[in-house]
Amino acid sequence: MIRTLGSLIILLALGAVAAAVIPDLQMHEELQETGYAYASRGMDDTGSSNLVTAVIVAYRGLDTLGEVVVLFCASTAVVLILTLYPIGLKASEPSRIVAFTAKILPAPILLFGVYFIAHSHISPGGGFPGGTVIASAFLLVMLGSSSVPDGRGRLPAIESLAGLSFGLLGFWGIMTVGQFLNNAFLGTGTPGTLVSAGLIPLISIAIGAKVASEFSGVFKAFRNTGGKI
Amino acid sequence: MSTAFYWSVAGTAAGLILIGLWGVLTRKHILRIALAFTLADTGANLLLVWSGYLPGRTAPIVDGNIPASEVTSAVVDPLPQAMVLTSIVIGVAVAALFVVVGVLASRRIGSADVRRMKELKW
Amino acid sequence: MTPTLLTVIALTLGGMMVAAGIAVLFIKDLLSAIIITGFVSLSASVLFLLMDAPDVAVTEASIGAVLATMIFLWGRGKIGDDG
Repeated sequence: MIRTLGSLIILLALGAVAAAVIPDLQMHEELQETGYAYASRGMDDTGSSNLVTAVIVAYRGLDTLGEVVVLFCASTAVVLILTLYPIGLKASEPSRIVAFTAKILPAPILLFGVYFIAHSHISPGGGFPGGTVIASAFLLVMLGSSSVPDGRGRLPAIESLAGLSFGLLGFWGIMTVGQFLNNAFLGTGTPGTLVSAGLIPLISIAIGAKVASEFSGVFKAFRNTGGKI
Repeated sequence: MSTAFYWSVAGTAAGLILIGLWGVLTRKHILRIALAFTLADTGANLLLVWSGYLPGRTAPIVDGNIPASEVTSAVVDPLPQAMVLTSIVIGVAVAALFVVVGVLASRRIGSADVRRMKELKW
Repeated sequence: MTPTLLTVIALTLGGMMVAAGIAVLFIKDLLSAIIITGFVSLSASVLFLLMDAPDVAVTEASIGAVLATMIFLWGRGKIGDDG
């Protein structure tokens, strides 16, 4: 009771602060300084039509590298905990509908994910959504069979290879033009075409492979503990 | 007009953050706390994207419809969108860790009630 | 001043999201709460799209509405509704 009351008081105070602060935020008409710089120079610097991808992969590529490391730590912790403390229930049999769907849908879902990753510099998409779409295709395959697909050792290998290639692509920039994760030294090509934007498509593929293998590993660990997902 | 759209999104985001915090503070089931955490996460992401939204402009993708010289007056801010994109992925990874630790703790104690998880208190 | 279609959609979706958020905390059945959270994520992705953020909308739809829901469903299968 007293806890509910205390929580309510905290929330009311927070709500009052928000109600006082938010109307003071002015509705901007123009871009802020950083956004203006990215929007005005982004396409010439990186050759990427999609400015969001240009910011993620090129301008703030180091942040993305750190974020991939955070993701790696979280997924490793999940798999490690579930390996050390197995819950130990057997996987349930899939229903007929799920088993039938899992035979048909994964191929188009995989194609969609690969399209997302490959076209990240000219249309909405990128390594993160593409990787999760691919992981959801693998999840559907796992749900459609009563046994867990083996693939022992291959998933961590793909994961390590993807993370390593992200770092190496960054060091390639140091070797050639002395700048980590510089993407323009390959030539930026014609913006809007598939083969353009320097290193951005390569790094997108690395991010996509990493995210896909990490989430697939998490769901494989989930499936190994059995039960009805 | 677009002003009403602008402030209704802000209200939704602020409401989701407050509801999520309330749920984290008052609920008892560990999974429901995780769900409330996810709600607050979604609200925070909405508020961040909202801060870079400019009414009457288009998505930050330069194609043939936008002349290269007028990009800065035609697109919304790409920076908050890039930050939120990474934030969503981190959010679901943290939620997965939350759920796994919560499941193990509640199986060890025999109940998903956080009031009985005395080992987590100090 | 007539309300535009954009405003009507945003107001409807926003009201539904806030109501669904309250329902997540108070509905008895945990399975329903998980599905409603997925609905909030999916509505948020529509709002992202209306705010000219297609990249974020795609990511939220694939991660927030699918992967997070699957993770919570797994947890419910392991714990159950009690508590």
